[in-house]
Amino acid sequence: MIQVFEPYRKKLPPLRAYFREFWRRREFASQLSIYDDKAEYLDSKLGKVWLVVNPLFLAGIYFLLVSVIQGRNGNTGFSTLCHILIGLFTFYFAQNCISIGAQSITRGSRLILNQAFPRMLLPYSSAHSALRQFLPTMPIYIAIVLIGKLIFPNANLPGLNWNYLLIPLVLISLALTSFGLALFFATLNVYFRDTTKLLNYILRIWLYACPVLWLPEVLTGWHRAFLYVNPLGPALAANSRIWIEGSTPTAAQFVAMFAWALFAMLFGGYFFLTREREFAIRV
Amino acid sequence: MSDMKTDLAIKIENLSVRYTINIDNKITMKNALMRASRGERVKTKVVEAVNNLSLEVKHGTVLGIVGANGAGKSTLMRTIAGILPPTQGRVSVNGKVSTLLALGVGFNQSLSGRDNIILGGLAAGMTLSQISEKTDEIAKFADLPDGFLDVPVRTYSAGMYSRVAFSVAVNISPDILLLDEALSTGDATFKEKSFNRLRELCEQARTILIVSHALSSLNELCDSVLWLHQGRIREIGKPEQVTDNYLKFLNVGKTSTALEDL
Repeated sequence: MIQVFEPYRKKLPPLRAYFREFWRRREFASQLSIYDDKAEYLDSKLGKVWLVVNPLFLAGIYFLLVSVIQGRNGNTGFSTLCHILIGLFTFYFAQNCISIGAQSITRGSRLILNQAFPRMLLPYSSAHSALRQFLPTMPIYIAIVLIGKLIFPNANLPGLNWNYLLIPLVLISLALTSFGLALFFATLNVYFRDTTKLLNYILRIWLYACPVLWLPEVLTGWHRAFLYVNPLGPALAANSRIWIEGSTPTAAQFVAMFAWALFAMLFGGYFFLTREREFAIRV
Repeated sequence: MSDMKTDLAIKIENLSVRYTINIDNKITMKNALMRASRGERVKTKVVEAVNNLSLEVKHGTVLGIVGANGAGKSTLMRTIAGILPPTQGRVSVNGKVSTLLALGVGFNQSLSGRDNIILGGLAAGMTLSQISEKTDEIAKFADLPDGFLDVPVRTYSAGMYSRVAFSVAVNISPDILLLDEALSTGDATFKEKSFNRLRELCEQARTILIVSHALSSLNELCDSVLWLHQGRIREIGKPEQVTDNYLKFLNVGKTSTALEDL
């Protein structure tokens, strides 16, 4: 196998060869994420339990803020709690994917400086971590819904229905959008090292701008545009619609969430790939 | 595509590597905005690390590379490995490359030696099944004291740490091995073992490029030595001849210290 290295001027690398190598080395990314998580939770007695406990506590606090203070009854209050819970769990998946991914290149500087591999494997590894942190929250959410239905039999929550089959589609589009954004912020962080600090504030504001603490239906008329200009908005609204209302997401939600996924991947991917060969000089 | 001859492992044509380094404050958005508000530009310096260098390395060659600090040795190695892009010229590499440019790349201090062998192997390009099969062999080669393989590497001595890192790099059967300052790894016994392993790789017609200041080791191991000076080839030839001239250039006597630790 002959590899040829030539000068580049902010051009895309040969994509076929790049993604062939990316695919060949995908295990490196997944194992890196597994071992990183193992190292992170090695000294913590509660370990990964924190990953579930943390959003549960937060959901409880937000629920108190937005629901109990507003004086809702038990049944409405419970469905609001479920909306906040599933919204937070899903938003945290996107948030982790973006924030861990944004740090992946600068944090992996020793790897970047000393090994040749498709750099996209590092944010991909972060997305893996985000997914593995997200998946255990799903059975927790389902358990809470089932227990809640026993306590509040009149709670307005759907039973098992076919629309649940659409959840993977929503999550895939959310994962692609978040991964594309992670690629953009990871590149930006190489050039401006305070990007991740700024990102913490952006993500906090982003949470309030997403239909997590409020229902998508509160936006009416032209205000609904607010939902669609937010890259995470359509997917989170569709997610809530399936889990809380048991309905199929609207056509607008579907179109917008896939459009954002495509745009984020193309924009983030292009920004990252055209600059990744500079990373070894700049990290 | 490359018009590379099949007997060549590495072909470098008119290679120049220049990079611009920032000599200003840490690059942050805040600093960038402050500078922009004052109408200032970022202060940078252009470093010509490798300058119009051409070289051909045949399969099975062990090439030593010497040069003073800042001569461009590590940049050259990183360009051959495909880590740094050339500014001009072209590098063609025929075969699987393994690099040991720094010790413990991909290692996690909190994890055990065994876990880090897997991580190091994966970082070097092996698949999980390949490195899993080789883990015991690599661990045996590293020859850590009893019980150390399964404790976090942060508890290792520097020597033990570098033994694990070196063992991973030389046990993954590369076609081309790039070693940067890795010859003085471990104690005398391990050093001997490393030499034997490198000789073994040479006998298997592997191509090895070694950057080192340990000149007597280069004389012993290499078929030829390349002397880099300010990014250009100053001399290339028989190891003893090049290292002698290099010592004369540095104005250092042929003492054992000089030969081992320049």
